[in-house]
Amino acid sequence: MADGAPPPGPGGPEPVGQASAVRPFLLTAGRVADCSDGRSLPLEAQVVATAEGIDALGRLAFERHDIVAVCRLPQSVAEIAARLRLHLNVVRVLAEDLRAAGQLTVHVPDSGVVQDASVLRRVIEGLRAIPDARGVRSDSD
Amino acid sequence: MTATETAVGAAAARPAAVRPPLPVKLVIAGGFGVGKTTAVGAISEIEPLTTEAAITEVAAGVDDLTHTPLKTTTTVAMDFGCLTIDPTLKLYLFGTPGQERFGFMWDDLVEGAVGALVIVDTRRLDDCFAAVDYFEHKGIPFAVAANAFDGRVEHTLDEVRWALDVAEGVPLVVFDARDTGSVRDALLVVLELALARTRG
Repeated sequence: MADGAPPPGPGGPEPVGQASAVRPFLLTAGRVADCSDGRSLPLEAQVVATAEGIDALGRLAFERHDIVAVCRLPQSVAEIAARLRLHLNVVRVLAEDLRAAGQLTVHVPDSGVVQDASVLRRVIEGLRAIPDARGVRSDSD
Repeated sequence: MTATETAVGAAAARPAAVRPPLPVKLVIAGGFGVGKTTAVGAISEIEPLTTEAAITEVAAGVDDLTHTPLKTTTTVAMDFGCLTIDPTLKLYLFGTPGQERFGFMWDDLVEGAVGALVIVDTRRLDDCFAAVDYFEHKGIPFAVAANAFDGRVEHTLDEVRWALDVAEGVPLVVFDARDTGSVRDALLVVLELALARTRG
């Protein structure tokens, strides 16, 4: 029951190990994610590489390269941070840079989603379809 | 979070080739070692991922911190998983560190969440007070789930409700964080509550 230390699965992501010796602000040239007014990218915001981003991969270095490369398929900000072992706020800053450069698109969910009954119903239906360990669906009992 | 998808995406030079799913966020809260990661892992389609979310010890309520969010003295692990509902919809489950002093980070995690599941270990009820208070204060739909360690709970649900002093409208369930169906049903309780809220 060790929160924070998931067992590494076969082929799965490894748990976060030792923190990088490189301080986060070095990766962002001293800039920080602007959290003060709630405008920072939500953890679940979806990030996708653009065609320009893929084309630019050869010219991008280090973290920027890795972020665009991992976003060939849509990824949440949190997934990017975890997969690349980067600080969340570093990903936020760099993703904004890459978006501004046209190399990523960032899709921030509308805050109204929380109140959207049709979306909630779809999630509920999707969850109900998940079989439990005995192969019984929750809506069949 | 006032920006809409179009407003944010519009700045890109070209639309992405792949249309990402709409992410729906649900928060799994509770004290340390209460079974958050286990619960996320029981239902997530990926092995739970961990990212380091770092804040200073003096984070909560200190204005200065908002200007230096990368200043780090404490690193907490935040675990999360996801579940693809269909190609256009994806459920994200974020396990939040439960300790009170991480309040600053909770805002970051909880913003835009449809609801929360507060997991309690009935042997250590006080560990979840902070989470219960937080979600009540924020007006976020939440349910309390007592994790049945070794298949049993130390107190009845009535005792837990009394001890936590949660409102009658807050669902209280017993579940097994290791069991997929059990976690699914606990999450469904939260989602049904969130859905009921939309009906006013």
